Amino acid sequence: MNTLVIGFLIGGVFGAILYMGGATSYRRILGTLLLKDMWIIKLMCTAIGVGTLGIYLLDLGGLANLSIKPAYLGGVALGGIVFGIGWAVSGYCPGTCVVGAAEGKFDAIFTVLGGLVGAFLFALAFPVLDAMVLQPFNFGAVTLQDLIGINAVYLAIPFSLLLLAMAFFVLKDRYE
Amino acid sequence: MKENEAIISWKVAGLALGLLLTLATFLVKPLGVSTQFVVTDAIAVHAVAPEAAESNTYLSKYGSKDDWGVGYGWMLVAGMFAGGLITSRLLRAKQPQADKGSMPPMWAAVFGASRGKRFAAAFAGGVLLLFGARLAGGCTSGHMISGMSQLALSSFVFGLFTFGSAIAAAHLLYRKRG
Repeated sequence: MNTLVIGFLIGGVFGAILYMGGATSYRRILGTLLLKDMWIIKLMCTAIGVGTLGIYLLDLGGLANLSIKPAYLGGVALGGIVFGIGWAVSGYCPGTCVVGAAEGKFDAIFTVLGGLVGAFLFALAFPVLDAMVLQPFNFGAVTLQDLIGINAVYLAIPFSLLLLAMAFFVLKDRYE
Repeated sequence: MKENEAIISWKVAGLALGLLLTLATFLVKPLGVSTQFVVTDAIAVHAVAPEAAESNTYLSKYGSKDDWGVGYGWMLVAGMFAGGLITSRLLRAKQPQADKGSMPPMWAAVFGASRGKRFAAAFAGGVLLLFGARLAGGCTSGHMISGMSQLALSSFVFGLFTFGSAIAAAHLLYRKRG
């Protein structure tokens, strides 16, 4: 099958999961960030736990098309801080605003439009930021197993179990 | 408490998302969204002013001389829109009342019911989200979900700084009401 069709179908399921799982919900996102409602974080821990297990099982058979992002830590840290403020202010992330827009939520549509502007501003600022922030602390496409020097599976299995245990047993909602 | 749930539980959604990520990694590559905002910008700028797009070092990474079109990643985001559109039309009755509409009750209780104010904040938040995501090289899907699932160092650093910053910002915004 054509990769464009595969992309569209995978995206369709992704969007459906985000909508049905309540990931486009403002009160859930802000509830998570205010450390009261653990729904979103439990959803993410489960997804990452299952995903880690799935990806490294695929990798054992040489079937995973991995895509490790480079650790240019200056950009990752600074970008994370800016992203976090945008997340708290809008109540969306780049994926959920697309799904929220599809639901017909006008605030999500404005977040998508803002996102297009933000990405364009980054493109304009890229030459300066690349030299000042991205290149200085670039450690390349490093994984935790590279750092520790053990086989990925021995790290992936405990990490996966830890996240699933967090989601199912540790994290609890706190409403007063 | 039924009203506070979502259409499917976090368990089902999390399991489905983890399996979808595994399938995507097997078929093509892991999930990601934020790059496609740049691709959309690149296509739009190239349509209006081709030289401006070709001379911008960042935009031109996402298009070559003869090909300023959409690829797998862009179709994935288009699919997300379609998936959200179809499921929200079919299942609207099951969505909790508190999650409907363009004016979150929680926001209105603190910042007032002005639509202009909410939309301005949503727009400004969007600017910061994508500027930050492109600076960091990914967002919640590409960095946190896909990146951590591949045990990438950069994604753990992203998760730490993003959650730290977002938790601080949320507490600042809602400091009057715990």
